[in-house]
Amino acid sequence: MAEIRFEKVSKKFGTKTIIKDLDLTIEDGSFTVMIGPSGCGKTTLLRMIAGIGPQTSGKIYLDGKDISDIPPAKRNVAMVFQNYAIYPTMTVRENIEFGLKNNKVPKEERDRLVREVTESVGIDDLLERKPNTLSGGQRQRIALARAMIKKPKVFLMDEPLSNLDAKLRSGMRTELIELHKRLKTTFVYVTHDQIEAMSMASHIILMNDGEIIQSDSPRDIYNNPKNLFTAQFIGSPQMNVLKAAGNEISFCFRPEKVHMSIEASNLFYCRKGEIVTKEMLGSETLYQIRFEGQSVMVKSLDDNFQEGPIYISVDKQDILLFDIDDKIIPPHSTQHEQWLNIIGGVTYA
Amino acid sequence: MHEGVKKTRWDIIRPYVFIFPAMFFIFLFVVYPSIDLIIRSFQEWNLIAAPKWVGLENYKYNFGKREFVESIRNTAIYAVCMVGIGMTLSTLLAVWLKNNTWLNNLTRNVMFMPHVISLLSVAMVWTWIMNKDNGLLNTVLNIFGLPSLKWIDSRDTAMMSVIIVALWKALGYNTLLIHAAIQNIPSELYEAADLDNANRRSVFFKITLPMISPQLFTLLITNTIGSFKVFETIRIMTKGGPGSATQVLVYYIYKQAFQLNKIGLAAAAGVVLMAIVGVLTIVYFVVLSKKVHYQ
Ligand SMILES: Nc1ncnc2c1ncn2[C@@H]1O[C@H](COP(=O)(O)OP(=O)(O)O)[C@@H](O)[C@H]1O
Ligand SMILES: [Mg+2]
Repeated sequence: MAEIRFEKVSKKFGTKTIIKDLDLTIEDGSFTVMIGPSGCGKTTLLRMIAGIGPQTSGKIYLDGKDISDIPPAKRNVAMVFQNYAIYPTMTVRENIEFGLKNNKVPKEERDRLVREVTESVGIDDLLERKPNTLSGGQRQRIALARAMIKKPKVFLMDEPLSNLDAKLRSGMRTELIELHKRLKTTFVYVTHDQIEAMSMASHIILMNDGEIIQSDSPRDIYNNPKNLFTAQFIGSPQMNVLKAAGNEISFCFRPEKVHMSIEASNLFYCRKGEIVTKEMLGSETLYQIRFEGQSVMVKSLDDNFQEGPIYISVDKQDILLFDIDDKIIPPHSTQHEQWLNIIGGVTYA
Repeated sequence: MHEGVKKTRWDIIRPYVFIFPAMFFIFLFVVYPSIDLIIRSFQEWNLIAAPKWVGLENYKYNFGKREFVESIRNTAIYAVCMVGIGMTLSTLLAVWLKNNTWLNNLTRNVMFMPHVISLLSVAMVWTWIMNKDNGLLNTVLNIFGLPSLKWIDSRDTAMMSVIIVALWKALGYNTLLIHAAIQNIPSELYEAADLDNANRRSVFFKITLPMISPQLFTLLITNTIGSFKVFETIRIMTKGGPGSATQVLVYYIYKQAFQLNKIGLAAAAGVVLMAIVGVLTIVYFVVLSKKVHYQ
């Protein structure tokens, strides 16, 4: 059981305020992913939870208990650092059991736990090796084992997969999801990779400039962005954003929600354009289409369209509108309807 | 080199031409003198008359002489203290310097100065400070109600006095090198250790010390060799006295060669010095190099 709660937490480095009056709750047992552009304060936030870079003001609660003054080792949290922070002079075994030794856990108990944990992450045959003889993937497992062996209430992970190659990364992603299912503890996972965020999270916290932009389930973050930043940050390729009504409105739809056709369709929004570039991604194809002086990306399963004239169309329900302050205009609201009518669907006969 | 073009004679000779100057000077100033030293150690020569071959007589004479044996013992004591106390103090000081207070910064800046001052001045100044009648040290001791010491004028304290001066001079340089090594340790290791509930002792012995072991190993070797070659401090402060209380190997060599013109005896002592330093270095490598952590 471990719920984390931030109450008016601020963090300054010198005179520079990085995080200001932040309120945040991370649910017990959740796989919470913090995502945001580089330098937005994700690591800073994680380090405050761990206690290795304490907040300047405000309080942090773990299970309702104020942990602001509790030293890192007594907080019942374990951390996987971005570059693993494996002790280079110790063997794999020494690395993993260092914490237990410091906590005076007896040898037999230690050995049992080391065996259990290293078997579960598949490094039980590397115990006597030195870290500099191991690959990136193996080091990452050491870091994971070192965290797991403490049986913490909270796992903190700072971009743990960012140093791995693509194949290893997707394998580890699955393993971490399974690990979370098995342990049922709270995971706080930092990444700047939205694919990781979408695929692993039970809850996503999107940050920018030290502020929380949106905190929601992956599904809602993707389907119901509350503002333009979320809409543009999540999704690859980016959400298409068109300016309408004299720049007063941002008119948005996702590349994967666009239909392409040789003939005009009878969907709400249909325009004639021209395919400018075509990019094969494997299972999908990415088209860049220019129309009425604007350019949009379209992701399609059909790779048969050739460069040249084309109709693109978007269904009414797939259109998102944001006001001049980049806030969402709620879909299905009358305001939404009104704006859609002003922008106007053009129907080609 | 292009495919199919035959190597000319110049291509073959070229590398040797390039390393020739370096090799020439190494031979002239290192290899030749060492061989000459060994040959001279088997001869009797007073710089004037023709050298006479005497076999192992010089070695027998030296080892039969109390002054020589004492000089070896004193040199060993000096080296052990310099290396043992010196490196321990430097390491502790370097660890302490990691904190960032004004006192640390001041120390960091001032610390290196003894290394820059010439040893001659250092020894002179300390000779005054340690003056048995009105020196600064005795004045301070008296203020605290302690009796005066005779420092370099007593057989019992002369060696200790010389060591204190040499330590004072060497401390800054050693500390600076160790401090630089400590600064290079990634801070996440300490944070990970913090999360692993490591106490300060454990952090020092399990993280800091192993991480700076390459630098410590290098310092150990250079400090050991340096200590065995101690001369200037002794020459200026005590001239090997009182009696032979601070007689050390190099001073013994100096005395035989330049005061008594006994080149053979000096050479034999020189060979002994070379052998001791050589053996110690080998021992260090055999015993310690496995414990040193290289990246
Ligand atoms: N020790 C520090 N001293 C000064 N500024 C820092 C320090 N650590 C981080 N920052 C600043 O805080 C901001 C957030 O950093 P960080 O939390 O590492 O970002 P993220 O992990 O999201 O990429 C950055 O602008 C960074 O420059
Ligand atoms: Mg970061």
